[in-house]
Order: sequence, then structure tokens, then C-alpha cells
Amino acid sequence: MNTKKRDRLAVIFDILKIIRDKHNSIKPTPLLRDSNLSSSSFSEYYAELIAKEFVKEIADKKGRKYITLTDKGFNYLEKYNLILGFINEFEL
Amino acid sequence: MAPPPMNPIMFSTEILFTVIAVIFCFIIYFKTREIYKLTKYEGIRYFRDAFLFFGLSYVMRFLFSLAMLSRIAFDFIVPREMFGPIFILPLGYLSTMGIFYLIFSTTWKRFNNKIMLIIGHVVAVALSIVSFITRSHLILLYLQSALLVITVVLSFIAKKDGNKLKGGKKLSGARILYILIAMLWLINLWIIDKGAMRSPFFRGTEVFFQLVSLLVFIIIYHKVSKWVK
Repeated sequence: MNTKKRDRLAVIFDILKIIRDKHNSIKPTPLLRDSNLSSSSFSEYYAELIAKEFVKEIADKKGRKYITLTDKGFNYLEKYNLILGFINEFEL
Repeated sequence: MAPPPMNPIMFSTEILFTVIAVIFCFIIYFKTREIYKLTKYEGIRYFRDAFLFFGLSYVMRFLFSLAMLSRIAFDFIVPREMFGPIFILPLGYLSTMGIFYLIFSTTWKRFNNKIMLIIGHVVAVALSIVSFITRSHLILLYLQSALLVITVVLSFIAKKDGNKLKGGKKLSGARILYILIAMLWLINLWIIDKGAMRSPFFRGTEVFFQLVSLLVFIIIYHKVSKWVK
């Protein structure tokens, strides 16, 4: 689990970026497809993103579910390169 | 019983040094709070905890220096023979954990963290208890020095393994800084123990190593500030 940690940061970044690039609104199925993850891995990451409040689910008038980024999600995207730089600088 | 002779200038520099060191340690700890909260990344957690523990160690050292300045501490509030050991207990634990967290921050990917953390706490507690029972700073110094040697060896091994995969420098700037922090902590304690207040030679070296220690903290602070706004 721990050895995946660096990759984990990158996977979270990729998922958030996909949502942002789709005008901050995407259905779960296309997000799963574009993220190139297995459905079990995706569920794990998705649950984490919801728990960390990086993304939230919204429904339109017809009850269709969409995923959007929260301010925290945008903040992560914005700071991702700085976070990576910091980790590399101190070899963490 | 009369208190030992003191040099006011040396005590002032010691207090000033510990205050600045505490400030730098806590600034580094709080500055990295946001990126840790965003990522929950283990390496960042250990890095932050190392500076938290070193900051608290310097707080203890500061309190120790303040208490040394107070004659009341010797004669009334705390019996003189208990005065040193009372500070050794938390100081030994906090500084040992500081060294351990520095090790964890760079080696956490290779070891079982839960076991390593438990071992770290047990060793730190054992070390401070031994120092408390023997009532000797020197025991703490020797044991922590041994720990530092293990740190250096581990850093080399971890880096050597990493280089087999990536190809890179033997020992990076970050690791050198980590080793310097631990080494300077020990050197500063050793110089104080050797009676910096009496010998002019030790007075000079104490100030020199305090300045080098602050320089290391400034470099780390600068590196942190580069990435964490």
C-alpha cells in the first residue's frame, strides 16, 4: 500500500484533471473509462475523493448524477506540482 | 548549595539560539500543514513530525537554560540533584523521536511503518529512562550518537538500493541536511556538557556550532518556502 503512495497522488491528480477538463461536470461512467483504472480501483479512489471532499455529486432535474470538483479539488490541482517538487526536494 | 558559575553572555547566546531554532522548527511544521492535509502523504507527515519533535526538544533546552538562570530552581522549587534528570527525561524522548522521524521520512517506503514507529517510541522511551536513571547527559549523547551512525548507514543503504533502480548521487543534499541536524544537535549538547561556560575554547566552538545549526535550519526553511507558499 505504501509503495503506491506516490502513484496515488498522480492518480488523484489525473482523476481531478479529467473532471476539470470536462468543464467540471462529468458522469461517473465516462470518468471511470477516462481514468484508465479498474472498476474496483476506481471505486476506492472515488470513495477517497468524496471523503476528502475533493469532489461532490450533483443531480440534474432528471435525476442524472454528475461529478464536480470542490474548491479543495481545484486547490489540489493547482498545488500538485508544488507538492511533487516538495516531495522530490526532501526525498520524502 | 551555591549554583555553578555562569557566563551571562554564553547563557544569553544559548537562549537566543534555542528561541530561533524553536521558531524555525515550528514555522517549517506549520508551513507544511496545508500540503499534508491535502495529500495525507506519509513522507510529509514524518518530515513535519521530525521538526515538531526537534522544535519541542529545543523548547525543553530553552526551559532548561531558563531554569539554569534561576537560582530558585536550584535551591527551592526543585532539588538540585533532581534538576538535570527532570529535563533529561522529556529531552531524551523528544530528540530521539526527532532523529527517528527524520529516518522515517526518507525510509518509510521500504519498511513496515507501524512496526518502525512502535520500535522508535520504545527505543526513545528506553533511552530517556536509562539517561534518567543514570542521571547522565553523556549516556543520552552516546546512545543518540549510535542512533545517528545507524541513520547514516541506513541512508546509504536506502540510497544505494534506490540508485540501482534510478541511478543518482550517493547522498543527496536533503539527506546531508538531515544528518547535519542530528549531528549538530549532539555536538551542541556535548559542548554544553563539557562546560562551555568555563573554557574559552568551548565558548568559541559553542557559538560556531550554534551558528552552523541555524544556517542548516535557514537552508531547510528556504527549501520549504520554495515549494510551500
